[in-house]
Amino acid sequence: MESRVVNKGQISELLDKLAKDYNLFAPVKDETMTLFRRVSGAQDVLLDYNNSDISPKGCFLPQNEKTFSYMYTGDSLEINKPEGAQKTVLFGARPCDIKAVLTFDPVFEGVKFGDEYYSSKRENSIIIGLSCTKVLSTCFCYAMGGGPCDITGSDLLLTEIGDKYYVEVITEKGQALVDAYSQIFAKQDTAQLAKDKDELAKKLSGEFVRKVDLTGVKELMDNNFELPYWSGDDQKKCISCGICTYVCPTCHCFDIFDYTTGDFTGDRIRCWDSCMYPEYTLEAGGHNPRPTRKERIRNRFMHKIKYHLDRYNMVGCVGCGRCVIKCPVNIDITKIINDLKEVAQNA
Amino acid sequence: MMNLAQQLQEQAKKLLEEKKVDLVIGFGQGTELARNTPVFIDSPEGVSALTWGPFCANNLAKYLSDYNNAPGGTAVVVKGCDARSVNRLLDDNQILREKVVVIGVPCPGQLEWQKVSAEIKPGSTLKEVVDNGDSYTVKTDSGDYSFSKKDYLLHRCLVCENPNPVISDITIGKELPVKNYEERFAEVQDLEKLAVNEKSAYWDKQFTRCLRCYACRNVCSVCTCEVCVFDQMMPMWVSKRTNLSENTAFHITRAFHVAGRCVDCGECDRVCPMDIPLRKLNVKIHKDLGDLFNSPTPGTEPGLISPLGGFSPGDPEEFM
Amino acid sequence: MPNPTALTPYPATITKIDVEAGDTKTFTVVFDDPEIMENFGNQPGQVCMLSAFGEGESTISITSSPTRGKFLEFCVRRVGRLTSVLHQMEVGQKIGVRGPYGNGFPYEMMKGKDLFFIGGGSALAPIRSLIDYVLSDQYRSDYGRVEILYGARSMDDVLFKSDLAERWPAIQNTKIYTTIDRPEEGWNGHVGFVPPFIEEVAPTPENKIVILAGPPILIKLGLAVMEKLGFKDEQIITTLEMRMKCCLGKCGRCNVGSKFICVDGPVFSLAQLKEMPPEY
Ligand code: SF4
Ligand code: SF4
Ligand code: SF4
Ligand code: SF4
Ligand code: SF4
Ligand code: FES
Repeated sequence: MESRVVNKGQISELLDKLAKDYNLFAPVKDETMTLFRRVSGAQDVLLDYNNSDISPKGCFLPQNEKTFSYMYTGDSLEINKPEGAQKTVLFGARPCDIKAVLTFDPVFEGVKFGDEYYSSKRENSIIIGLSCTKVLSTCFCYAMGGGPCDITGSDLLLTEIGDKYYVEVITEKGQALVDAYSQIFAKQDTAQLAKDKDELAKKLSGEFVRKVDLTGVKELMDNNFELPYWSGDDQKKCISCGICTYVCPTCHCFDIFDYTTGDFTGDRIRCWDSCMYPEYTLEAGGHNPRPTRKERIRNRFMHKIKYHLDRYNMVGCVGCGRCVIKCPVNIDITKIINDLKEVAQNA
Repeated sequence: MMNLAQQLQEQAKKLLEEKKVDLVIGFGQGTELARNTPVFIDSPEGVSALTWGPFCANNLAKYLSDYNNAPGGTAVVVKGCDARSVNRLLDDNQILREKVVVIGVPCPGQLEWQKVSAEIKPGSTLKEVVDNGDSYTVKTDSGDYSFSKKDYLLHRCLVCENPNPVISDITIGKELPVKNYEERFAEVQDLEKLAVNEKSAYWDKQFTRCLRCYACRNVCSVCTCEVCVFDQMMPMWVSKRTNLSENTAFHITRAFHVAGRCVDCGECDRVCPMDIPLRKLNVKIHKDLGDLFNSPTPGTEPGLISPLGGFSPGDPEEFM
Repeated sequence: MPNPTALTPYPATITKIDVEAGDTKTFTVVFDDPEIMENFGNQPGQVCMLSAFGEGESTISITSSPTRGKFLEFCVRRVGRLTSVLHQMEVGQKIGVRGPYGNGFPYEMMKGKDLFFIGGGSALAPIRSLIDYVLSDQYRSDYGRVEILYGARSMDDVLFKSDLAERWPAIQNTKIYTTIDRPEEGWNGHVGFVPPFIEEVAPTPENKIVILAGPPILIKLGLAVMEKLGFKDEQIITTLEMRMKCCLGKCGRCNVGSKFICVDGPVFSLAQLKEMPPEY
């Protein structure tokens, strides 16, 4: 499709307009953190950031979501569902996090069971991606099939070039948006900007310091479930804190429970959960199929590099590096991938 | 003269060779230049993985109770603050004195790795760290970087009470002076000056961010309950729903569950992925314990049971 | 077409409660909307999510066969929070039900074969739906001899007592074996654990399918006995229990390797189980 140009000076105007016409989610600074939040206009938005501390996955799978409210007295029952999602724009998400949304799609929009809450948000939102201008030492999106300037999953992708944003229109939704705000998304000759973007992408691709190579890892894992490796230091040092899963843009596990709001009323809630918690698989009768940190760690990483691939033909990690940064004991998926490759090859 | 890491390795080797312990828990190089990670060494050949420096933030005493049922002893590398945890674990009967060998290292302060990392060229390799007193020089293959302690140390380290481990069987390195400890309540005092509604606004803003991952609890060496109240299903004290009221309930409960036992190791504050200043809550309680009961930081002395930090079957429970 | 509203339960009413044992009750449940009841389409071996509003949800297998009428039976053992609340409920009260979930038993593949059911403790509940299906007037002639070996801890723990003692034995070409763990006054049947009892009864593998359900330990030991008796992996069918929350393959917790027990199971042949990591 086509491409357009936005002058940096007009970004505020664009954000203000978007905030008026849509629910606008964008990166903001909250004390020391960069987080995606609903914003009321350009003033809060932070566009010069590395990656956000928490991924924007909450736009599609909020940490808490009411699936319905009920009024229940014992012999009478009434169930009320919330209205569908409002029109939303997710602005300024990084390519890795956008790719992560694609790993959610087959989970929530499954063959047999869909998910009205997810789908309604997904259908009603437009994703405006923002190419990275810097690669962190923890980033490894390139190794997971993405890249700092990757268009995958965005409706529009903005790339900062000098005093302009080069805008790639990727989907119909994106097209409709640039047409609706055509006074900001200017039609211009973008040949030079396209070239500049390619240059930037090339330059950034040379800046990754983590050498991660996934080729053959899944195949090795297919035949190596039990490896002494899983009994090593990682399971000894893991504190089952679940941070790695909460910050991960592709972790989608949730719990469901009721939240009482009155004598006869309450909400059914789903909220993020983590496979790193012992309680996660603990059965009411006391049996736990993944009783120790060893099984839980193995499950998390196998999910990323094998199970998600087996089911949906997509790697379950996009290389955003958040778990690498935030794990308090430095359990590092890139090290695990590299180690596994070596271990399994010698197994 | 051997550097501290070499001395550590030598001691660990000896302990393992002489079968005094089966396991040494220490720090090894992490996957980022400015990061170390817990390592678990069970053979004399493995000791070369041990390292030491200003990137050893973790409180390894946390792991000791994992090895209570191991046949042999366990040695652990501790900094000053971590040593308070060891005392506290002993007082709580969570570990057995005879099974633990404490390797204490006087600690000149730990750096915030992310802050440091942001300034070093990605992909560099660490050569050496030099302690200049008020700053560290991090020497790498891409050049030397200087980090002032004032700006780069973890908060808890800026007001460290015990740079020298309060319990130690083997001490590595020289004793260090205590600095700035008198300023330890400064942040809390600033908060205390606020009006009630301002305080509440401040904490609301913090607690709203909380993901309720409970990493702060999981990392805490004195959180030793077999089933934590927050995981308990019957009754369910705090809902999993994250909203200000549930989050606040969590934070108040957590702060009071560690009151009198919290050794101010600062781990909760360090690991929180949402940068919630948990230490301020803990330190406020320390301050009050000091002001009201003249009680020192828990863990500073063995056998010291602070108000709120002990349990006696004779305690009246009229409120229950 | 995927069902997008899958997380919302249908209102249903408890119409009957049978006390099976001290900690187990069977609830008969009918949807408030007759159309939903009509089209529910549950298959033997499938499960539902039961809601007790205010407490949440729990996965319970459907213990009735669709051949028995337009109702659902759930046999519920009181083990946790939600099941305790269910146990306090009375006839006429409302619960929520969503489902049916899971693959169910491969009853088509079992046609023309003899069936040997093995159940331990509360695990008779999930296989009862299949027993009743193959023993129904409608389908009885499609299946060969049906034998049921069931073990409970004590006399009081024996579930579906009248099914075992009267209803099933009265149907032609069936045989019921029951055992309890320890001798007890008033018990004339077999005494001892299930695995050695299987060895004693010694079913032969010719043209037979074994359906095995029980706690993890029984599955493990039972499988070993069946292999010893010469059964092939494909002839052994079992149903797994895992903690479930969504039953839709989304919440993540019921995975065993790449499989989600809630959508790919809960019924697996031993051949399939052997392909999966032993994490159940
Ligand atoms: S596993 Fe780690 S690096 Fe991969 S997507 Fe999740 S948080 Fe990012
Ligand atoms: S992982 Fe890639 S896309 Fe994500 S922030 Fe880093 S460079 Fe950008
Ligand atoms: S963040 Fe690290 S310590 Fe916490 S659960 Fe994940 S791997 Fe374990
Ligand atoms: S670690 Fe931080 S985010 Fe997690 S529960 Fe504790 S305070 Fe909340
Ligand atoms: S509450 Fe925090 S500072 Fe206190 S002992 Fe626990 S982890 Fe350390
Ligand atoms: S119960 Fe949620 S994935 Fe199976």
